[in-house]
Amino acid sequence: MLRDYFVFVLNNLKSRRLRSWLTMIGIFIGIAAVISLIGLGSGLRAAITGQFGFLGTDVLSLQASGLASAGLPGTAVANPLSDTLAAKIAKVPGVEAAINRYLKSGTLEFKNKQEIGFAMSMPEGSNRKIVETMLNLKTAEGRLLKEGDNRMVLLGNGFTNPDIFPGGIHTGNQVLISGISYDVVGILEKKGSFIFDNAVLINEKTLLKDFGDDGTVNAISVKVKDERTIGKVKENIEKLLRKERNVKVGEEDFSVETPQKALQSLDSTLFAINLFVIIIASISLVVGGIGIMNTMYTAVVERTKEIGILKSIGARNSMVFQLFFIESGLLGMVGGIVGVILGLILAYGLAAAGRALLGVDLIQAKVSLFWIVFSLIFSFIVGLVAGLVPAYNASQRNPVDALRFVK
Amino acid sequence: MNMDEIKYSLNNLIHRRMRSFLTVLSILIGVMAIFAITSFGLGIKNYVDVLAQEAGTDKLYIEAKGIGAPGTDNTFFISKDEVDFVSKINGVKEISGLYTKPAEIRFGKERKYYFLSGLDISKIDFITEVFNSKIMKGRQLKKDEMGKVTLGYLYQFDNKIFKKAVKIGDKVEINENQLEVVGFYEEVGNPSDDGNIYITDKQMESVFPEIKNKFGVVMVSAQKGVDPEALADRIKEKLRKYKNEEKGKEDFFVQTFADAFATFNTIINVLNGILGLIALISVVVASVNIMNTMYTAVLERTQEIGIMKSIGAQKADIIFIFIFESGFLGMLGGIVGVIIGFIISKTGGLIAAASGFTFLRPIFPWYLIVGCILFAFSVGAIAGIFPAVQASKLKPVDALRYE
Repeated sequence: MLRDYFVFVLNNLKSRRLRSWLTMIGIFIGIAAVISLIGLGSGLRAAITGQFGFLGTDVLSLQASGLASAGLPGTAVANPLSDTLAAKIAKVPGVEAAINRYLKSGTLEFKNKQEIGFAMSMPEGSNRKIVETMLNLKTAEGRLLKEGDNRMVLLGNGFTNPDIFPGGIHTGNQVLISGISYDVVGILEKKGSFIFDNAVLINEKTLLKDFGDDGTVNAISVKVKDERTIGKVKENIEKLLRKERNVKVGEEDFSVETPQKALQSLDSTLFAINLFVIIIASISLVVGGIGIMNTMYTAVVERTKEIGILKSIGARNSMVFQLFFIESGLLGMVGGIVGVILGLILAYGLAAAGRALLGVDLIQAKVSLFWIVFSLIFSFIVGLVAGLVPAYNASQRNPVDALRFVK
Repeated sequence: MNMDEIKYSLNNLIHRRMRSFLTVLSILIGVMAIFAITSFGLGIKNYVDVLAQEAGTDKLYIEAKGIGAPGTDNTFFISKDEVDFVSKINGVKEISGLYTKPAEIRFGKERKYYFLSGLDISKIDFITEVFNSKIMKGRQLKKDEMGKVTLGYLYQFDNKIFKKAVKIGDKVEINENQLEVVGFYEEVGNPSDDGNIYITDKQMESVFPEIKNKFGVVMVSAQKGVDPEALADRIKEKLRKYKNEEKGKEDFFVQTFADAFATFNTIINVLNGILGLIALISVVVASVNIMNTMYTAVLERTQEIGIMKSIGAQKADIIFIFIFESGFLGMLGGIVGVIIGFIISKTGGLIAAASGFTFLRPIFPWYLIVGCILFAFSVGAIAGIFPAVQASKLKPVDALRYE
């Protein structure tokens, strides 16, 4: 029975080929727009949040409160963290290590070219290994920093780019960092992350000696012994900090976050922007839906006589309804399938073109299966909803009137 | 082309009421979206232009390079000596270094973080002109006054910055310093600037001793008749030599206000353009719908076309009838779209203003309204071309025979 319906519906669609095509074009333009924007949006989101890709599940990051968006971590704060805190935090039960993290901004000069950036500290002693693991540091050439390296620097992979510094910087070169000469001991692997590919790592002692030490740190990284106890450890650290900084519960002027938590707010902002764009693109889907509705109304009027004949030879209201309902659903779904294919081509094509033109790895397309299935179902539903009223109208026609109907 | 043909077209549209309605609906949605987006875009552009004009085209600023907003990074700064040096450069009318730092402000038990500026009150007229914002309540700070603070517009209201509104005479704590509020600034229009905190430069030096004589930003105005662009170049060159820095390695930059605003406007235009393009997709879909409607109309009226042709209608008459019909559908969609878009923008603007984003105020110049309606008309007319030409090519004999 259902098969007969489909044959009937397909024949109808074929006999009005041009109209069926135009109707489906409406849907597939909309779906293609939505799919490609979702693809580019989520690709960009993944790329941006991946910039901070030093996420361990057993790490907490400690910062003083401030205007977080205004500068480097720990710079736009009112009351910076003291460098004496780490030693106290290290004694909190469950903490394996608490490490002071320093960021100092300055200039880096090589072959008469100068860029402004910031240097990160590498801690001494047993903490060095922990930070290396935490940041997943591996070298592409040369070696990592080691104990006692004075005025030696480990650079991110971006510095090898000859477009930024003439010839690129490599192991064995000398660079001027804020006017002081440093030897490059190694270059990190390419990570595709802005922060790591532009990293300047210097041993803590050297960094504090050359850039000055005002007794404050930008952040404190805490590694917990067992990641299952991370919540409890976080509470204990907060308790200690409240006492040290003399603030009451609810009035904290610092934050203790897992790195994932810190990323969530950035990710949700990006998601909101993405969503707004998709909503605007979805308007075209609504317009496509209206197109289907229009086509179905026309089909009902055109086929009034057929409806009369079907009914007079025994077709029930429900059957007439289903015929038109299936027809509009099919228009939506076929439009959706073509739209998804076009959207995927568009998303990956645009991303590839963007990468080639701008030379930025940041532009990536990523379409999850969820969104593909979702858009297919959604386009089918748009078709069904658009067909609902016309199909109902058709099913309610009186056979006698319908047979008599003149266009 | 006469009234009869126009009447005939309109009658047909009324006759197929449902289909006409749906077609108009599909185009009006897109026009509405474009109208709303553009009205906001133009509004922001207008806000920036007014700001640029009021701040004056004779202004420029020197800013220390560095990472993040001015004041967060003390590695690079403009020193007091350098400001004195620049003040003597030919063409400089007024100059004032601005201390700026992110700070914590406490009121009762709440803590918030905003930018704190230390002002040289002897230059207050100049600074007021640059900020383009005056004290609206209370009074301005006095030269070297200690223990007093003036606040941005939003502090005066409940639940904007703090749960409770701050009043003149109240004490707030800024980085552990108890200060008395003596005045409030008028509204600038964005929550960040309207949350600013202002103290005297002397007070600033006592709150942050480490930044004494180190400015993040220096504001400059050009003398009458001096081209600010040329002055900017001159300052850049002379200050570079004074600081003994090589060309291309300056740790500061000089920009005119006009340039800074132009950059901002470019960003707004690009964003607006992208959103507009995405909204345009729905107009493309709508034009496909119109084309569909018109093809159907041609098909349905094949016999009528045959009759018209057999009693002497020319090809041009038939083309005119159908293009007029589809263009009219488009224009109707444009008019209704503009009306609904206007309502949406107005409402959106009011909501934004209530949340402190007064700069998100849509404007509706006549060219936007006329442009949207004309655009909708052209989309309709263009979508009607193919069906109309098809109709005009029908042979009267075949058309009369058509069932």
